[in-house]
Amino acid sequence: MRAWHILRSRLTSIVFRDRRESDLSEELRLHLERETERLQATGLSREEARLQALRLFGGVEQIKEAARDARGTGAWDALVRDTRHGLRRLLRDWRFTTAAVLILGIAIGANTAIFSVVNAVLFRKQTFADANRLVNIYQNDRSGKPMVVISYAAYMEMAEYTDIFSGTMASSIPNPVRYLAEGAVRNAVAEFSSANYLNVLGLQPSLGRWFDATEERRGAPLVAVLGHQAWTRLFHADPSIVGRVIRMEGLPVTIIGVGPANLRGTLDVGLGTDFWLPITAVPELISPMGALRDAPTILAPLFVKARLRDGVTVAQARAAMDVLARRLADEYPDAFRNSGEFALGPGITVIPSTDVRVHPQADVPFMALASIVLFIVGLVLAIACSNLATLLLVRGAARAKEVSVRLAMGATRRQLVRHLLIESLLLSLAGGIVGCVLAWWGMRALQTIDLPFRVDMHVDYRVLAFAIVLSLITGVVFGLAPAIKATRVDLLQTLRDEGLQPIDHRRLTLKNALIVVQVAISVLLLGGTSIFLQATAATRALRVGYAVDGVAMLETDWRFAGYSESAAKTAQDDLLRRIEAIPGVESAALLRGLPMVSTGMSIVVDSATGQPGSEVEFHMLEAGPGFFDTLRIPLLYGRVFDARDRADSPRVAVITETMARKYFGAVDAVGRRFRLKADPNSWTEVIGIVRDTGTGDFEDDVLAPIGPTYYRSYTQSGAQATTVLARTSRDAASLIAAMQRELRAVDITLPAITAKTMAQRLEESQTAPAVVATLFAILAGLGLVLASIGLYAVVAFAVARRSREIGIRMALGARSQQVVSSIARGVAALIAVGTGIGLFFTVLLMLVMRAGGGSADVGIGHMSVYRPSIDPLALLGIAAVTALVGVAAAFVPARRATRLHPLVALRHE
Amino acid sequence: MSDQTDVLQGTLDLLILRTIALEPMHGWAIAQRINQISDELLRVQQGSLYPALHRLEHQGWITAEWGASENNRRARFYAVTKAGRKQLATEVEKWERLSAGVNLLLQRT
Repeated sequence: MRAWHILRSRLTSIVFRDRRESDLSEELRLHLERETERLQATGLSREEARLQALRLFGGVEQIKEAARDARGTGAWDALVRDTRHGLRRLLRDWRFTTAAVLILGIAIGANTAIFSVVNAVLFRKQTFADANRLVNIYQNDRSGKPMVVISYAAYMEMAEYTDIFSGTMASSIPNPVRYLAEGAVRNAVAEFSSANYLNVLGLQPSLGRWFDATEERRGAPLVAVLGHQAWTRLFHADPSIVGRVIRMEGLPVTIIGVGPANLRGTLDVGLGTDFWLPITAVPELISPMGALRDAPTILAPLFVKARLRDGVTVAQARAAMDVLARRLADEYPDAFRNSGEFALGPGITVIPSTDVRVHPQADVPFMALASIVLFIVGLVLAIACSNLATLLLVRGAARAKEVSVRLAMGATRRQLVRHLLIESLLLSLAGGIVGCVLAWWGMRALQTIDLPFRVDMHVDYRVLAFAIVLSLITGVVFGLAPAIKATRVDLLQTLRDEGLQPIDHRRLTLKNALIVVQVAISVLLLGGTSIFLQATAATRALRVGYAVDGVAMLETDWRFAGYSESAAKTAQDDLLRRIEAIPGVESAALLRGLPMVSTGMSIVVDSATGQPGSEVEFHMLEAGPGFFDTLRIPLLYGRVFDARDRADSPRVAVITETMARKYFGAVDAVGRRFRLKADPNSWTEVIGIVRDTGTGDFEDDVLAPIGPTYYRSYTQSGAQATTVLARTSRDAASLIAAMQRELRAVDITLPAITAKTMAQRLEESQTAPAVVATLFAILAGLGLVLASIGLYAVVAFAVARRSREIGIRMALGARSQQVVSSIARGVAALIAVGTGIGLFFTVLLMLVMRAGGGSADVGIGHMSVYRPSIDPLALLGIAAVTALVGVAAAFVPARRATRLHPLVALRHE
Repeated sequence: MSDQTDVLQGTLDLLILRTIALEPMHGWAIAQRINQISDELLRVQQGSLYPALHRLEHQGWITAEWGASENNRRARFYAVTKAGRKQLATEVEKWERLSAGVNLLLQRT
């Protein structure tokens, strides 16, 4: 009650500050008047009475101050005063302020942006009801580590254990799907799940319903549940979405509900799942892209979660799953010989869901990666802060006089430190605001890129708190030391201008070390940029091996316009004829999917020279009649696909010369046979051998040399052709427009999914390395800018401290060149050491990348790694750039020293 | 002047509370009343009254309201609150203990 009263009294006195002031004045005035009147009544003259009253009263201003303090608002008033004063000063030194705010803004912005990604991926956990009763179940790989559950059949076996689990659910890894909205084909992420998915998690749909067991059956009409985020983002939270039919991969799918608001996806890595479909929709929706259609049970990587029955322990569940694992090994021996991507080993792993973030094998590298990224960006912030501290020190040195005067006038040291601290806090908060704006803007820019997946990141309270705390810590930590230092002055000495201590001859100061580290990091980042530029250049230099100039492609999907298979066939032939008739077109061909997109396959080679019955990993590329002619891929032996190759004729394939040599012992392998591993009845005869193309698979492994590859024709695979590929003698760009016109002429409702030239496709495949190179270049540029600001500050500081010495030397006849060079020597040493360290680590990094043998283990798979060559010219260039920038930064304040008039410098005013 | 005593540190609160416990008063009147009642023995430095008044108000022991003074001018009248009366009682008790102690000490030595 009393606390409340005091708080209210304080608040009112703060809020009604002006009224309180005038009240106080009036109250005191009344007192003085009454006292004067009383004294006048005793016979004094009016003037004497007034003076006497004032004497009796005491100092009016002091009394006022004491009255203010009595209300406990003195500290607040001082804060307001100091803040105003600080703002005025910062506005006056706007150059310094702008520089400092920008440095901090960039650093805090980068930190905030990176943190928001990490936050989205790692920290925002989903909440399930009774989460500690949930377990994750994985089948093990051959090394006995948890992998995924590889088939629907295996999941069904697990779900049988109803005495252990009260419910078991499965969901596929997120799959890219395409759907039609407002006449355009869009990318989305879909999960294929079991009907009891939500029940097991203990969640409720926010609208409509989840699919039921009858819909989790092959052949049932397709239904989907929309993710809550997708619902708000794509459909503007329109409740009438339930019951609507959309076309996904061309097939009609009915939306029956909207998922829970807090559910983003089974694999909670910040990728929002847009659609949930029954697991049994997998063959219909995505089988044309893989070999799933023919698989006896649905072979798909699944995540399985189960809810333990009351009283059942994790250990009991483990024991039950061990029994199952042994039985599965007996029943499905094939699964354990599989050498493919999902080769199974013995055992099943059961882990409480709360112990797993993403995947048991991925969590550690994931966390490590996030920590490294945060560490690197934190390093940038540390550099920025150290620079700010140096700038503040320089400023403090320049203000030594002002500080002394204020101390002499009676300001306490505490007041001065508070004052300086408020200034640095103002700076860091402004930097924090700029940083938030930059981060927000950067994330907006990132979100506009239409990626096939979507990282759900936005500025939430954690991100904001992160930025604010970061800027506050920055302000206090890096403002306090300079403030204390600036106020620790010997009054008399400084006022007499003798106070600037002799030059600091220590070489290993913290400031110098920071500069060296900054330079080294900039050099390392420049080195990283050069590696990625090198990689990009190397890819461009690869022999493509097929026609690029004048080639264009147009992809559509007949299913999106509701075509039956036979109608699609007529329409696509019509489209091909029309495009062939476009003036300038030399050759055109139909194709399924996009050209040169490979699918990994396991095949069994007919034993003549290939090891009998051995399985080999292959790339399979889609082709069709006219394909090799259009892309000008030379035929070495045999023939290419033509009208003879139909769905009912024997299966045939065209293979590359590498495959022929490697597995059939001779380039002329016409007539030899192989089959798909998954299907014993898929014997395929080789009808032709073509020359290798430079990059078969430029979707991801751009840099990997092409492996053994075979082409199949869509005319035999039973899948629809979707793409027309054409080569013109004229400009490919204008060909695209003409092709789109023909598509509209065939059917206005057909969407153009892809309309590109081959050159554009190739360029796109370079996007990832180019983006990384750009990112590195930006970081390196940032590092260099920061490092040069640091150098500038350090040199300016040194010059300020040494102005007396410089003045004396110049008065004694030293030439300005000598002065500059004496300063420059120190700077050059710093730059040289920093560059040396940076180059050392760059070369080390290159050596490590080379030693990796072209791939790196990232926990759940391998990533191809470019093997850079060590280019001395590039390293030299990096060193030169760094030296140039550093010297330029140091030159400005050094020049200023020489412009000092000896007399002025001696008086140091 | 020489037989006047400066108000002891801490007793000013007691004097103020006691003075306005009878009726609400403004600052100048409080100073006058203290002087008169103590037969001019106690001298309150007039200015120091105001910080004390504001402190007491801030602590919630007295309240202030604008009203008309005896010669019809706007003046700030202070009155004791409930909490203030309780405080006054403890202050009085404290004072009595102190003065009794001091008296005993003076008589017996």
